[in-house]
Amino acid sequence: MAMSNSAMSKAPLFPPATAPTPRLRSCMERLWWRLIQPAPASLLYVTVSLLWLLGEDLLAWANDIRQPAILDLLRVALAIAVSGGLLYWLLRTHADAIARARFAQRQVEDRLRQSLEAMEAQAAERAAERLESQQALELLNAARLQVETALGDSEERFRQLAEHIREVFWVWGVTEQRLLYISPVYEDLWGRPAQHLLERPLDWIDAVHPDDRPRIYAAHFDKSASGMDEEYRIIRPDGTVRWIWDRGFPMHDEYGHVHRVVGLAEDITTRKLAEDQLRRQQTELAKTSRLSLAVELASNLAHDLNQPLAAIVAYTQACLGLLRQDKADPRELTGTLEEVVNQGLRAGSIIRHLRELVQKNPTASQSTLDLNTLIHRVIHYAQLELRQASVTLKLELMDQLPAVLADDLQIQLVVLYLARNAIEAMHESNDGPRLLTLRTTLQDKNTALVTVQDTGPGLSKEAACRLFQPFFSTKPGGMGLGLSVSRSIVESQGGKLWATPHADRGISFHFTLPLYINPFHPSFSPPHA
Amino acid sequence: MNDAPTVFLIDDDQAVRDAVGLLLRTDGLAVETFTSAASFLESGAAERAGCLVLDVRMPGMSGLDLQQQLRARGHRTPVIFMTGHGDVPMAIRAMKGGAFDFIEKPFQGKTLLERIHAALKLDTCERHRRTQRADAAARMAQLSPREREVLERIALGRYNKTIAAELGISVSTVEIHRKRVMEKLQAESLSDLIRTLALANDAE
Repeated sequence: MAMSNSAMSKAPLFPPATAPTPRLRSCMERLWWRLIQPAPASLLYVTVSLLWLLGEDLLAWANDIRQPAILDLLRVALAIAVSGGLLYWLLRTHADAIARARFAQRQVEDRLRQSLEAMEAQAAERAAERLESQQALELLNAARLQVETALGDSEERFRQLAEHIREVFWVWGVTEQRLLYISPVYEDLWGRPAQHLLERPLDWIDAVHPDDRPRIYAAHFDKSASGMDEEYRIIRPDGTVRWIWDRGFPMHDEYGHVHRVVGLAEDITTRKLAEDQLRRQQTELAKTSRLSLAVELASNLAHDLNQPLAAIVAYTQACLGLLRQDKADPRELTGTLEEVVNQGLRAGSIIRHLRELVQKNPTASQSTLDLNTLIHRVIHYAQLELRQASVTLKLELMDQLPAVLADDLQIQLVVLYLARNAIEAMHESNDGPRLLTLRTTLQDKNTALVTVQDTGPGLSKEAACRLFQPFFSTKPGGMGLGLSVSRSIVESQGGKLWATPHADRGISFHFTLPLYINPFHPSFSPPHA
Repeated sequence: MNDAPTVFLIDDDQAVRDAVGLLLRTDGLAVETFTSAASFLESGAAERAGCLVLDVRMPGMSGLDLQQQLRARGHRTPVIFMTGHGDVPMAIRAMKGGAFDFIEKPFQGKTLLERIHAALKLDTCERHRRTQRADAAARMAQLSPREREVLERIALGRYNKTIAAELGISVSTVEIHRKRVMEKLQAESLSDLIRTLALANDAE
């Protein structure tokens, strides 16, 4: 806007030329137009023409009559007519010339004006252009200044960034085979002077923990090709260990060759420690929950065991009572004592179960395992609950299911937990059939699949999302650890645990376990063959 | 109906039922056994004198559930719980629910018998007191409203004169009411009268 305003307010560059008016032409014009052009001129013209046409005849006639006075008069008149005609012609010719000249002059003037105007327009245009280019230049200057400032800023910012961020910023020259730049944080983090890197470019690797060093050496030599993304420990001179997350990105020159690798090395010690702690807590939690599952199992066993013991004690004391009262009928005593023996045997078989459960797996170790047998054994413990909740059990176990490789006790706990969970879910629902289905099958040739399906009320969407979160429970007294622990158990055995809700009723829990592959078995084929 | 106090033994485990039943019978107790809480409720035995010996964990209705049901129905039969493996919250729940005792399997026969005898004694006393209360309440029901007013004031230890003034009747009328009350409640003394009133109030 400012530019157009200034353009318009500017005076024309060249002042307009004034037309010249010669005095003579003005007089002649005036003479012609005022004196000769009007009617007397026409009259004179006719008279002269007549005189011209009749002159000879009149002269002849004058000669004939021999009147010298008239002849002279005629001669004078003729002379006047001739001179008048001449004068008229002259004037006329001159007036035409003046008119033509005037026309031409006008034309010239017009053309001059036009060209002047054109010139003026052109000049204005050029002025505008000049202004424009001037402004553009100014803008360009401003922009350049800005760019320069920005560049300065960005350099400054880069410098600030590189020198103040927690991360060590480094640039490795591939052809130079040395560090071209490393931010000063390096010295703080590594506790080694950056100066050393000038003498020995790989000085930083010396600080890497011996366990991580070979890997980092390899990563360092590979980084110009594929970049790097490594986590490793460094030992600082004071002996403290820091975790470093080091990433490098290859940079290509105009020919497409990697000429530099730029990277960031970050101190992730805090995060690592937090992760470690979390993992430890999770392990601890899983252990505790596994323990609580085992305690529950033991409680069941204790109940089972106390039944025959109570019977034995009661039978024996009844016998003693009868004997003391001398009312003992030997036949009755025989029957009672036989019952005592039976109950003793019953207790023994329960103990055997317990021993199977505990002694077979003194430590959590993987062994070959028949899932069908395991399920039968687990169901034995759940009998009481099944009866209490009036749940019908349906077993759909695959014949000749190959053995899996897993920890016996832990998988028993998972199956027991899932079965019990299903029973509890159905116990709460008041309507519909109560059917617990346990199914074993092969998911693929290397994986066994176990499904525990109930006909309980199922799950809300919200509950389904949070199902496996620790401490989430839909049960009033539930700790909410069972499923998350079960999942961690299954995953620790190389399997997966998940749930699929049914559209109509209930929910299915599935878990997979890897099959045991006997390398000496004829049907053995490597897993990825 | 058998009026002799009976031990009602409820356990889903056949061996326990058999053995404990034998033990109790050896001691001369009348024993009836049930395989589940539901079958006990159906038999109508809850009405009868005696005590319950009950396993906590049973299929269907648990021992604790049965105890609740009995309380809800107004039965006061003492309950002794047996448990194969008891925990503290379970015992607390049982005792809060009014259990007579809570014993763990396996148990000394003597212990169980002692507890059973105590429970039976309690039940007998309770039943006797309940009968007395019902009796007193029945006798109280015979009183006219005016007689009841007079009785209430006698119980508060007022003199006949005071009662007459309060009720706006003559002293001789108070004396007549008093005599009627003594007759209707079959009381021979003032203390008899007060005891009957207290029993009747308890029954309410």
